[in-house]
Amino acid sequence: MKIPTKHNHTKMGSPPSWMRFIVVSLVVFLAGLPVTASAVDVTGTSRTYLTSREQADGTRLLPGYEYLNFQIQDLGSDTISAHFGGWAGYDFKEKTGDNDLQYGYLSYKSKTANTIINLGRVMVFEGVAAERVDGVYARTDLMANFGISAFGGNPVETGAPLGDVAASSGNNSIYGARLTHQTPGLYAIGVSYLKEERNGEDFRKEEGVDLWLHPMNKVDLAGRSNYNAITKEWMENTYNLVLGPFDRLRFTTEASWINYKDYFFGTTLSAFTFQPGILDPNEKVRILGENVVYALTNKFGISADYKAYSYNIAGNAKYYGGNFRYTGASGGAGLSLHRMDGDADRLKYDEYRVYGYSKLGKIDVSLDVIDVKYDSAINGVSNAYSVSLAAGYDLTDRLKVGADVEYAKNPDFNRDVRAFLKAIYQFDVGTGARKGV
Amino acid sequence: MWVPAPGRGYSMKNKTVKITFLLLLLVLALVLVACATTQSIALKHPATEGMPICSDCHHDWRSSLNHTADFDTRHRFWASTNSQSCNVCHNEAFCSDCHAHKEELKPSDKYKDSPNLALPHRGDYLNQHKIDGRINPASCFPCHGRQNNERCKVCHR
Repeated sequence: MKIPTKHNHTKMGSPPSWMRFIVVSLVVFLAGLPVTASAVDVTGTSRTYLTSREQADGTRLLPGYEYLNFQIQDLGSDTISAHFGGWAGYDFKEKTGDNDLQYGYLSYKSKTANTIINLGRVMVFEGVAAERVDGVYARTDLMANFGISAFGGNPVETGAPLGDVAASSGNNSIYGARLTHQTPGLYAIGVSYLKEERNGEDFRKEEGVDLWLHPMNKVDLAGRSNYNAITKEWMENTYNLVLGPFDRLRFTTEASWINYKDYFFGTTLSAFTFQPGILDPNEKVRILGENVVYALTNKFGISADYKAYSYNIAGNAKYYGGNFRYTGASGGAGLSLHRMDGDADRLKYDEYRVYGYSKLGKIDVSLDVIDVKYDSAINGVSNAYSVSLAAGYDLTDRLKVGADVEYAKNPDFNRDVRAFLKAIYQFDVGTGARKGV
Repeated sequence: MWVPAPGRGYSMKNKTVKITFLLLLLVLALVLVACATTQSIALKHPATEGMPICSDCHHDWRSSLNHTADFDTRHRFWASTNSQSCNVCHNEAFCSDCHAHKEELKPSDKYKDSPNLALPHRGDYLNQHKIDGRINPASCFPCHGRQNNERCKVCHR
């Protein structure tokens, strides 16, 4: 072990005020439901993990986690629902714990006009905004194919970088809106705005234009341009063009322009403030990429990809390679070979990966091997690899247990062995049959 | 006799104009919503097995949502422009597996039994993050720029 990786666990204390608020609100709300409450539909997933991993000083950690998410449908009306997702963890060696509310809100969804009102800890993805907010989010269709959305509340973020303590401890707020127009099946265009204040001062002011264009069958253009209204420069322009499939061939082209000074302006992590000599804060990068996929059959496919990174200040780099993929009814496999070829020594390496997975009745097994060969050794290591083996068993339709082990050697660990046990229980098999849903 | 502070008269007038404008905007929005006749999209899509290829059933624009191998790099455009389409099949727990506010487990650790999924941070990511961060730090920023960076701060003080 050569560098510290110790994680700061916080003491497990009483639940935060927002958690108490939401739990109390839900209890009061449920208690006040009319007799139709018997129709309430609760679906969700409980995921319990126990892991074993090594710490920087050589001692082993033994943290356990409970991830719980559920949604309650038909809360007195089939247009009202409640949603919750969060986790709690506890380290059985260090006797410390932590927890987090990922989201928790009441939702109203109208049967017409796609009207949605969410109240609580909500996730907002609208144009320039990709936020977590303790507040309200609403959207609706308007007439003539217009649509509008808006949100506002307290930003759910970590504190500002050290040296800016005041800005992370005061009254903060965030709000924004997006106006869209679309011709269904042809195009959708949106303009969006976001403003975040910390202690009454502007922390972020961002404006964005997003576009989806489908001018003809087999042609899709999607992208966005975001503008920093504080630095008065474009943060990013990112566009993606998909052509195909033509018979068995599909092309995906990506183009991005990112201005570091403007893109990373509103951060709470010092790593993104950059330092000349490592990454210049005035750097600008242009990324052009192409991915070509050819389906040999319905089950076998090959692809080639190429991505070029052009920097204004640092040297350039390109990443390219190929993939082979097999996807069967009860399993699959993949093989990939890539080369990173950059001007800097650290950006010269070959990357190999092979994996396979199979489901045999109630048992599933998988294997994943990743190998990276550096042109110049890092910390004396020129070949880093990891091998992981996983197995699972369906005890019932709703309950699955599994275990995996990973062995790795890399520039930071001479030998790293990790173990992982898990139990996944789905409250409702019908809506939770698909993993991750 | 009460004398308004310099500029106060203008400020009051300005405030009245703002409130009037916002009220008119609200009335306009209510009228526009009332006139909207669209049917809301379905709350849930029937469950499917494996990665969904929407064009198997939908022969219109929805084929753009095909979850082909490159969809992991394209899903951000759909999420930011039409998240309702995502919500027909996915709830927030699905998004939160990667886009977390605070997290201690890598997405690829939670789903080691699904190596076919394009999940970030597979294998030795402690060393690899120094390379990826140098190549394209903008790829780190959406998840770690203002959230889920407490573990980053252990070293990046």
